[in-house]
Amino acid sequence: MADSIDPSQGFARRVLRDTFARTSARIGLAWITLLLLFAVFAPFLANSHPLLISQGGQLSSPLLAHLSPGDVALLGAFLLGVGLAFVSKLSWIKRIALYVIAVLAISITANLFITPPKLTIYEQYREAQKIERYDWVIRAPIPYSPRDYQRDEGDTGLEQPLAAEQRRHWMGTEANGADLFSRMIHASRIALGIGFVATGIAMFIGVIIGGLMGYFSGWVDMVGMRLVEIFEAVPTLFLLLTFVAFFGRSLYIMMVIIGITSWSGYARYIRAEFLRLRQQEYVQAAIACGLPLRSILFRHMLPNGIAPILVAASFGVASAILAEAVLSFLGLGLVDEPSWGQMLNQAVQSSSFYWWMAFFPGGAIFFTVFAYNLMGEALRDAIDPHTHNGG
Amino acid sequence: MLLKVEQLSTHLNTRAKRVKAVEDVSFEIDRGETFCLVGESGSGKSITALSIMQLLPADICSHPSGRILFDHRHDDGRIESVDILQQSESSLQTIRGARIAMIFQEPMTSLNPVFTIGEQITEALQLHRPETSLREARERAIDALRQVQIPSPELKVDEFPHRLSGGQRQRAMIAMAMACEPDLLIADEPTTALDVTVQAEILRLMKELQTKTGAGILLITHDFGVVAQMADRLAVMQHGRIVESGPASQLIRQPQHPYTQKLLASLPENLPKADRKSSKSAKVVVEVQNLEVHFPVKKGLFRRTVDHVRAVDGVDLTVKAGQILALVGESGCGKTTLGRAILRLTEPTGGKVMFEGTDITAMQRRHMQSFRRSMQVVFQDPLSSLNPRLTIATALIEPMQAHGIGADKDERIARAEQLLQQVQLTADSLWRYPHQFSGGQRQRIGIARALSVDPTFIVCDEVTSALDVSVQAEILQLLLELRDERDLALLFITHNIGVVEYLSDEMAVMLDGRIVERGKTADVISSPQADYTKKLLAAVPRVKF
Repeated sequence: MADSIDPSQGFARRVLRDTFARTSARIGLAWITLLLLFAVFAPFLANSHPLLISQGGQLSSPLLAHLSPGDVALLGAFLLGVGLAFVSKLSWIKRIALYVIAVLAISITANLFITPPKLTIYEQYREAQKIERYDWVIRAPIPYSPRDYQRDEGDTGLEQPLAAEQRRHWMGTEANGADLFSRMIHASRIALGIGFVATGIAMFIGVIIGGLMGYFSGWVDMVGMRLVEIFEAVPTLFLLLTFVAFFGRSLYIMMVIIGITSWSGYARYIRAEFLRLRQQEYVQAAIACGLPLRSILFRHMLPNGIAPILVAASFGVASAILAEAVLSFLGLGLVDEPSWGQMLNQAVQSSSFYWWMAFFPGGAIFFTVFAYNLMGEALRDAIDPHTHNGG
Repeated sequence: MLLKVEQLSTHLNTRAKRVKAVEDVSFEIDRGETFCLVGESGSGKSITALSIMQLLPADICSHPSGRILFDHRHDDGRIESVDILQQSESSLQTIRGARIAMIFQEPMTSLNPVFTIGEQITEALQLHRPETSLREARERAIDALRQVQIPSPELKVDEFPHRLSGGQRQRAMIAMAMACEPDLLIADEPTTALDVTVQAEILRLMKELQTKTGAGILLITHDFGVVAQMADRLAVMQHGRIVESGPASQLIRQPQHPYTQKLLASLPENLPKADRKSSKSAKVVVEVQNLEVHFPVKKGLFRRTVDHVRAVDGVDLTVKAGQILALVGESGCGKTTLGRAILRLTEPTGGKVMFEGTDITAMQRRHMQSFRRSMQVVFQDPLSSLNPRLTIATALIEPMQAHGIGADKDERIARAEQLLQQVQLTADSLWRYPHQFSGGQRQRIGIARALSVDPTFIVCDEVTSALDVSVQAEILQLLLELRDERDLALLFITHNIGVVEYLSDEMAVMLDGRIVERGKTADVISSPQADYTKKLLAAVPRVKF
């Protein structure tokens, strides 16, 4: 018989520990963490504005001055998250509640009080540096903003990695002449955001509707199933097109629409699981013990039925990233924001193949999807108590 | 000797460890003889059978020692003694199915659902006798079905397995096995999944076929009743070894090895009956009046209700405090549905359930919650009766919390420890997960959970049918103790007459949703009135010589 389990360890903590005991899940987590760091610190990693300049003995930081409210909110949320994870000894629920409130507060204050200059001229720093107006300059590791099209460099366009002699573009440049590496880093924000939020919305709706359908069955199930069928018949692409036409191009609308059109799969999974679980003797015993409905649904049924959902969710995140890529490819994506799909779009133009435009964004999409799948798989095994501790 | 197993060892190698499933097992089977291997689950009896058939996956199993000598009768009538362990896969194929046939426990899954019965029999025939024509093979298939006494074999030969009842399916399996006239038939728990009346028919059929063909039978079972009826000689296995073997009549009457003695003593009919003081109060706890549970059968586009399945059809019962009422019946008779309807886990469609004088049949969910505390249930399957995600502590404490028993968490944990002691488990079991326990232990935890809310009435739904006899004996004794201690009223649902005799004060026999006979257990067993009860009691295999 295996060892007893420490009573002080909660279910979630044990599952997390077991998930990341696996090498494959760690690799997946490492990739996603890297992306997260890229996303949070994007302005500091790739920016045309210098980090610090000394001009006639006076120090200034154009980079900080040009930070947008979004950048600041993201940074604040990240630092707060790290802080709460390590410092606090509050309970999980309290910590999450505190976190959500603090993040909201940060984003509201950032939107109210931070107003970066409307007009940005990226070229001025390079020109000033050329005529040696600065005493010294500290630049970001990649001294190009994603939307710095380098008009000062003359007729730039698609350039191979490290093709130009004076300028160093590690991954080449895209059609308008902007640095590809810089755009890749900034695009990780969209990839992560759309994956998490769209899947989160879909899972939330799907689990609730599917759970009710599976537990109550009867007419609730009938109505729910018709709802699922209706949503499965809605063509996501046309819905997005319509919304783009009415409300303009917005990342948030894209997230919400991908979310509310893809919950039906989760609902079906959860419904099937709940129908099966309802007949399980431990659920019957829980009903016979007179436990409240909340406990039956969320303690006895959901943790036992969540495994297929988590695997589906890892694919869901991947497919949301792909959906965004497809939209961008079709020209329905965001106009000027960098995104991996939009970059892929430029790989083949007028019958020539620009390999760096396919290789780097394609690789990033591939690794991200792969990382989510690895983590989903490890999570599924960790949730199943039969796969560890022997039997 | 038809089959001679000499010092056979079978080891199963998994990635982490090596399991010595069978160690140093020797026995012999002659033509026309029935040899029984008896043992509890995990004793290695099935692995022995699979080793003889060489059906274990070659990459995980190894035979460090031993020989399996089999008299291989070639097609030209020449008989040669071969060691099965040394045979190549191709020569094994001429033995398997043709000379040694096997039937399995679960008739549901051992027939291929996408082929008709006839196709499955003729396939085996044509494989081993390629010269047989299709028409001839079909004739022989019908013959084989006639031999196993399936009614109208000319029609049944073209049926798919799902159209046959469990008993008929097992007959078809036997027909398939016997079609090639094997010299040895290995039957691995052939009747465990069947009702007693069907079991009796199948066993009689196997005996008849044996006298007709002179085949040797290796019968694997855990049921001493079956052994007593079938075996010429038997061997008792424990932990992969044979602890005792000999002629059946002698071994059952005078077991020598302590393990055999313990097994026989654990049979419900051999358990010592404690004199029990009559119940303090004869208060009626549960009274069921004309209870009906009808499930609608819906058909067509508009899901109109065309008919009802009458699972429970007008049942009257009373259970008194301190009394055990056994509800007996074969599978599909509605006994489980009745138990669930009394607890309102299934909604009754008619009649009344009175609990301590209150009608709970039409009670609202909210009011029902407080009655749930007094009515509990223990289920059959120890695998699925506990939530695999929760520790035992949570499983026991949550019901207490829901009903406000115990002031705080510490007090509830103390109570949970007490409960575990009552069901003879140690207190450190609290922090384990269900899969870390054996079936019997899990069943004890299920009982502890039912007791956690201090019920006055418990429905026990086949609580011992998935357990080995020795474990079953412990659980039955535990239930009796708890009953006396707490003056519990128990509704004990079972198909095992031996258990009924040992445990219950009164019994009710159920057939097709109705109760056909009711009365004091001793009276019903000694002088059954209804025809069905008589048939049922006659079919029970008993260990008597």
